Amino acid sequence: MKRVVSVGFVLMVAFTPVFAGGQGEAGADDGPLELTFWTSHTPPDSITLAAMVDAYNASQQAVRVEMVQVPGSETDVAQLMTAVRGGTGPDIYMLDRFTVAQRAAAGVLEDLTEVMEAVDPALPDAYIPYAWQETQFQGRTYALPFDTDARVLYYNRRMIAEAGIDPAILDSANGPITLEQAREIARAIDQTDADGNYTQVGFIPYDIQFSQGWHYTWGFNFGGRFADLDAGRVTPTDPGVVAGFEFVRDWAADMDPQRVQTFISTYAPPNTPTQQNAFLTERVAMKVSGDWVLKWLEQFTPDLDYGVTYIPVPTSGAQPSTWAGGWALVVPTGSDHVEEAFDFMRWFAGEPGQRMYTEGTAHLPTYAQLMNDDALFDGDHEFFRASLAFASSRPPLPVGALYWDALTRAFSSVTLQQEDPATVLQQVYDEVQPQLDQFLPLQ
Amino acid sequence: MGIIRGRNLRNGLLFVSPWIFGFIAFQVYPIFYSLRLSFTRYSGFGPPTPIGLDNFRRLFSDPLLWKAAYNTLYYTALAVPIGVVVAIVLALAMNQKVREVAVYRALLYVPSILPIFALSFVWVVFSNPRYGLLNHLSRLVGLPVIDWIGDPRWSKLSLVLLAQLGAGGPALIFLAGLRAIPTELFESAEIDGAGPIRRFFRITLPLITPVILYDIILGLSLGLQVFTQAYVIASTGPNTMVGPDNSLMFYVLYVYRNAFQFSQMGYASALVWVLFMVSLALALIVFRWAKSWVHYEIE
Repeated sequence: MKRVVSVGFVLMVAFTPVFAGGQGEAGADDGPLELTFWTSHTPPDSITLAAMVDAYNASQQAVRVEMVQVPGSETDVAQLMTAVRGGTGPDIYMLDRFTVAQRAAAGVLEDLTEVMEAVDPALPDAYIPYAWQETQFQGRTYALPFDTDARVLYYNRRMIAEAGIDPAILDSANGPITLEQAREIARAIDQTDADGNYTQVGFIPYDIQFSQGWHYTWGFNFGGRFADLDAGRVTPTDPGVVAGFEFVRDWAADMDPQRVQTFISTYAPPNTPTQQNAFLTERVAMKVSGDWVLKWLEQFTPDLDYGVTYIPVPTSGAQPSTWAGGWALVVPTGSDHVEEAFDFMRWFAGEPGQRMYTEGTAHLPTYAQLMNDDALFDGDHEFFRASLAFASSRPPLPVGALYWDALTRAFSSVTLQQEDPATVLQQVYDEVQPQLDQFLPLQ
Repeated sequence: MGIIRGRNLRNGLLFVSPWIFGFIAFQVYPIFYSLRLSFTRYSGFGPPTPIGLDNFRRLFSDPLLWKAAYNTLYYTALAVPIGVVVAIVLALAMNQKVREVAVYRALLYVPSILPIFALSFVWVVFSNPRYGLLNHLSRLVGLPVIDWIGDPRWSKLSLVLLAQLGAGGPALIFLAGLRAIPTELFESAEIDGAGPIRRFFRITLPLITPVILYDIILGLSLGLQVFTQAYVIASTGPNTMVGPDNSLMFYVLYVYRNAFQFSQMGYASALVWVLFMVSLALALIVFRWAKSWVHYEIE
């Protein structure tokens, strides 16, 4: 008897997880079909996303979408990868659009070409061309474009005026200022304490903690090209890209790289909440950033006297530059409801969804028709819309995230460690090109 | 006798069978699976493509890997000895013959109960160059202000300091070691005129060497796999660097990047196997070296 009890006990313990796992499966047939939508966006943007999901749910009876906020970032999709591999992935995921090709190549995404052609073969024409191009991998469609954005120079009128400079010279009506002028204005604003550490700065063009001073920003600004898609090559050693890197190296040297880093550690430490962004707390007078900052300023610091203008250009009279990114909606591999998910995506990334998102977050739409709707763009938002006319975009490569990370590393060694741009960019090529070679030809 | 033994063995195995099942399914199988993957190109989806030794060849030309390996060894080389010393000092403090010793023990142990990710968030605030407690204290005693997280020269040391908040765990083991030393030894040494410092170096330290060895091996394994602190402090948001100039890019974090960000499960598996080999080699070296200084007299 004792033996029976002990054996029974062992079996019970061993199979508990099995019994527990079996619960809660029944009874899913009643009511609308449930779909799961994952996003790594955080407030304030995710608040608008949640309202959009509610609006979609209210617009029809067949499907009920539940939005879940998950950990992740532009290039970190660990949560998605493990869930999809384990068969518990979401039906819809919001992915940084420039990584669509890479995730499609890895097999994480469902091919949507057939579903789209059955529902609406003319859908590609509804979107801005570069945004649509980013949803493609080897001629197949893996995503629908969601928002886009543009980068500009934000400037604080009060801080500039207090340094004895008339902020009117930055007015966008006068066209872009030169980087030389920006340097002079910034120097006048820089302040240090008794230890020599910065307490306020004019401009850190290469900051990526509280602004968007990425490698792409300055590479494009100096006319650089980051890839040759026809040749299947990444081109980090392009003269324009190298010139952009040389520019930030010299700027960092002028300010003292480590003191800049200490300024960032002090006023923009890791995990800083949005409302403590160094531009919002008036620690920095100028920064390169995107349209979403308009909403931050409106929400957190409505009294801050700021303006937006073109990113400063290398030489007087040069064409201004910017670049546009944005997100996309995808169906991860293994979803049983690709058609229903696609219907949701068509709404969400279509006219009704993108309208709500543009109004709620000040991002820009990729739905072409909305770009012509003047009512959507008031005040400074209009400047961003106009900027798209000369915007570049990141090359849609199946190694997009890897390339981004390698460039980021090179960028940092050029600024913080003052290494030679041409050398580190050659290292980027040596690292990324062999990985890209696996996917050739690209078209 | 034989029947009872056989039955006991069977029942014993049955009782531990959930563990055996878990061990095989979640440890043994993945270990061998990752070995197989290390010879393939595999995104995590679809069939793996065999590529022979390419992943291992790639190791040599991957600059970031060497940086991660350097950072990890640097961190471990600092964290292990400092950790041993701090734990012994804590254990000695916990072993004082005062009435409130229970309170002291609890106080010294409490930080090690806190999860490391929570401590990491606190550390960011503590180490702020202008507003942080650490620099406030160093200013008071006239030391220079250090950018503990933003300066690549200091960031790894900063994580070593952070790790000392978890020293309460090993300190308890050292405390047990201290309590196991027969008091007669100290008494006779005292009669012979040995002072407290001499007693520590001549009696206490030699007799807790088995615990020191244990702590070194444990610390080595934890140090080589350091991940959470760097992930929380330096790897969040759009910034894909880990710490300034990647100074906090540790080996396991790099493995994670490759596996889940770059979809290179095959390469990540190869990296893990190299780490395993290096860890094993280091542990064997430590064991060999330990023969010359570990004493097991009191057992």
